[in-house]
Amino acid sequence: MTDFAHRAPIDPARGGMLDAVERVTGRVPYTIDVAVPGMLHARLLRSPLPHARIRSIDVTRARRVPGVVAVLTGAELVARGDLQPWYGPVFRDQPILAIDTVRHVGEPVVGVAAVDLDAAQEALDLLDVEYEELPAVFSLEEALAEGAPLVHEEPPRTGRTFADVIVDAEPGTNICNHFRLRKGDVEAGFAEADEVFDDVFSSPPVQHVPMETHACVADVRDGRVTLWVGTQIPFVVRSQIAEIFGIPQSRVRVIVPTLGGGYGAKCYPKIEPVTAALALVARRPVRLHLSREEEFVTVTKHAARIRLRTGVTRDGRIVARHNTCHFNTGAYGDIGPRLIKNGGYGTGGPHHVPNVWIDSYAVYTNLAPAGAFRGYGINQAAWAYESQLDLIADRLAIDPVEVRRRNLLRDGDRVMTGEAMVDAHFHELLERAASWIGWDGGAAVRDGSRVRGKGVSVIIKGSVTPSTSTASAKLNEDGSLDLLTSSVEMGQGMHMTLALFAAERLGIPADRIHVTTPDTDVTPYDQQTSSSRTTHSMGTAVVGAVDDIRAQLVRLAAEELEIAPGDLEVADGTVRPRGAPDRAIAFGELVRRSRSGNLLGSATFRTEGGLDPETGLGIGSVHWHQAAGAAEVAVDLETGKVEILRYHAGVYAGRVMNPVQAELQTEGNVAFGVGQALFEEMVFDGGQLQNGNLGDYMIASVEDMPGELNTDVLEHRAANDIHGIGETSLPPVMAAVGNAVYHATGVRITDLPITPEKVLRGLRARAGAAATPDTLEEVPVR
Amino acid sequence: MTSTGATGATEPRPADADGKLSLTLRVNGRDHAVRARVHHTLLDVLRSEIGLTGPREGCGVGMCGACTVLVDGRPISGCLLPAVMAEGVEITTVEGLEGPNGELHPIQEAYVAHTGFQCSYCTPGFILATKALLDERPDVTREEATAYLAGNLCRCGSYVKILDSVMDARDRVRDG
Repeated sequence: MTDFAHRAPIDPARGGMLDAVERVTGRVPYTIDVAVPGMLHARLLRSPLPHARIRSIDVTRARRVPGVVAVLTGAELVARGDLQPWYGPVFRDQPILAIDTVRHVGEPVVGVAAVDLDAAQEALDLLDVEYEELPAVFSLEEALAEGAPLVHEEPPRTGRTFADVIVDAEPGTNICNHFRLRKGDVEAGFAEADEVFDDVFSSPPVQHVPMETHACVADVRDGRVTLWVGTQIPFVVRSQIAEIFGIPQSRVRVIVPTLGGGYGAKCYPKIEPVTAALALVARRPVRLHLSREEEFVTVTKHAARIRLRTGVTRDGRIVARHNTCHFNTGAYGDIGPRLIKNGGYGTGGPHHVPNVWIDSYAVYTNLAPAGAFRGYGINQAAWAYESQLDLIADRLAIDPVEVRRRNLLRDGDRVMTGEAMVDAHFHELLERAASWIGWDGGAAVRDGSRVRGKGVSVIIKGSVTPSTSTASAKLNEDGSLDLLTSSVEMGQGMHMTLALFAAERLGIPADRIHVTTPDTDVTPYDQQTSSSRTTHSMGTAVVGAVDDIRAQLVRLAAEELEIAPGDLEVADGTVRPRGAPDRAIAFGELVRRSRSGNLLGSATFRTEGGLDPETGLGIGSVHWHQAAGAAEVAVDLETGKVEILRYHAGVYAGRVMNPVQAELQTEGNVAFGVGQALFEEMVFDGGQLQNGNLGDYMIASVEDMPGELNTDVLEHRAANDIHGIGETSLPPVMAAVGNAVYHATGVRITDLPITPEKVLRGLRARAGAAATPDTLEEVPVR
Repeated sequence: MTSTGATGATEPRPADADGKLSLTLRVNGRDHAVRARVHHTLLDVLRSEIGLTGPREGCGVGMCGACTVLVDGRPISGCLLPAVMAEGVEITTVEGLEGPNGELHPIQEAYVAHTGFQCSYCTPGFILATKALLDERPDVTREEATAYLAGNLCRCGSYVKILDSVMDARDRVRDG
């Protein structure tokens, strides 16, 4: 049953979403549903070339189209002189509209705002752009080659960015950032090693594919910019728009409706600057909503090539790592210069390794910009180190589960960034995964034309550190509560989670609590809804805000009852003398007697840490996220097709606040991982995306899910910590599946995805090497 | 200008000066007078002319199911059907499933009970596909539902709980 306001009843032991009913009736408002009176509709003309000089743009015919209000080019933006036309969360290297040069296919070149989309499209069709093509680079190899054409000729401009970002560009090359980690003595470590294994693993670019593509409505009036936008990071959008317009942040308002999926795609400014610029020029509100094809060229996951030199003792202990990581960050930095830090140190793995040397590079190419993507560099890192660990186990004739037992971190061991591990559960996660999948060290099983095998993987992931979240709360005169935060609801159930925190702390039912969506005019600062940080960071801030109100309530009750505050207790929505419930005063009554109208509480939660720019050592993460996966696959020897029969997704949560959503996030990670393991890949030819639509680019459907899925969200409440789980169970999927394919067939795929073609090629290569059928050589597949 | 309605009738249809045609669409049991150009899809018109928010564009090429609506009870992609071809048929969106006072349909109740969604952008499409499935096969199995729903994509990957919702919806609908 639902009540008059169509709210579903709340069961704190189950969780879910506060606005569940709105979500099944199609009424929950997304950015695409925002309409402002007088609103125009925008379309963007995009570059057909990967790298070219813009010779001329003829806008005269486009401007004559009836209904067209504004046609804007990068050159005109520069000529206006009133906007700072370059933006980006680390470097200011991305133009609002291409200025002189286009650097990837799909880069916005001209913006049009018109009374309807038909008029805007007609104007686009009448634009005439002359380009002079320039040499371009697409792969890491091309971009890093001696004398390679430079994607950006000038060194990247820097600006205000996050505290944890370390910048070290290499001018005159396409390397826009270099992160170093130096721990122990890596040469001494290799000297101590009995064997050194040297392998390269690669991951392709993939797309986030949020079902709601990027959308934004901008209104510029009265010296203020107002944006309605589906972003995960409203305060960076605000600061960047303020910087672009040269106005105080108080004159920028960012309102964030619920998101139709984010997964990192909606981190940092994407279409906000151009929408706002069009609204400025048109002097009317402007709406921009990308098509799916445009979404594909807006942001991607980083393609990566990771070389691991790993020194091990004969009994399988890793004593040294020397890792070289290259991330293809595309034409603009976006957050890539920061991501290579996480993806770089991430290759250290969840292992106790005393000597580690890591170089990680962000490399510009003439592809669409790569940015934040669920897993944030750890997908690529874990694919590499967990795949290599099974190769090492095989070469040393040690069971793959056993080799992990000998290396996984325990409490007190030093993680790759140097701090002592606390609250380690890697071993428990591994044993639960191995047990569920029925790991017995046995051989692969032949089943008709198919062969079945099993694989495991264990990963470590940081959460952005340092970071800051602030929450506000208002206790109303009827004892109900409003929570004001800038954390973004994007399907993870964050509103319910925060309401449950407040309900528990204040002792009132969650259905008396409302949680706002972000509005930077009203809601306090939150650094970012990403990095699996909201439940931990904003949850703690919400508890602090509610505690602030609790303290006020106790003071008020102490005055009313003339009893020392220490003799009072808060329970059941009242404050009462201990042992005298008949003298209880309800919260609402205390608010009314205070004559404050409402009681305001607020709190800020900060985490401390950061890495040394020279050594990469310090505090990499406020705490370490931990997950394990186990897969059983069946590989068809005739077709090469891999089916995931069973999958175990284990993740450490500390304490689960919202059980249903924790399961959903974990199941969703498996769906994400299945696609990346088996079929997702953006295919480029000469910089042109060949499969940039959902007809040609497959994402997991219900039929692609593992036949059986075990979601194992591990709690240890005594640890008194909460770990976000929004991403953690994703990175194990690809390596667990790859390891299961290896176990089944002996075919080691080193470049994702594990397509039937690659498996077949590997099987044939092994058949060709029939003279030594039991040797498990690495099979080159490219 | 001609338009071929889903009824099969073909009739000349003059466009107005702005290139738009006046159409009558029957949506959720009511007739709606709307105006659309020939290339405007049913999805465009349901959203911009009728003001519905349940049908949503996800891919624009009929692959994701986010724009699913029922036409005479059968699920179709609203992004593929020109609005001018949607006259003379009964169109149902998720908004048409609720009772007169906003009571949820048993399928919607099942999706709430199992939280068969995360960001929920795809949810109206899944719910309407579920409706068509249960109308067609009231005793559907989980395996059959898996095959049937493969044309609706959920990037959040809520598939386990979507299937839980469908199985529960089957029981709720069948057992009244």
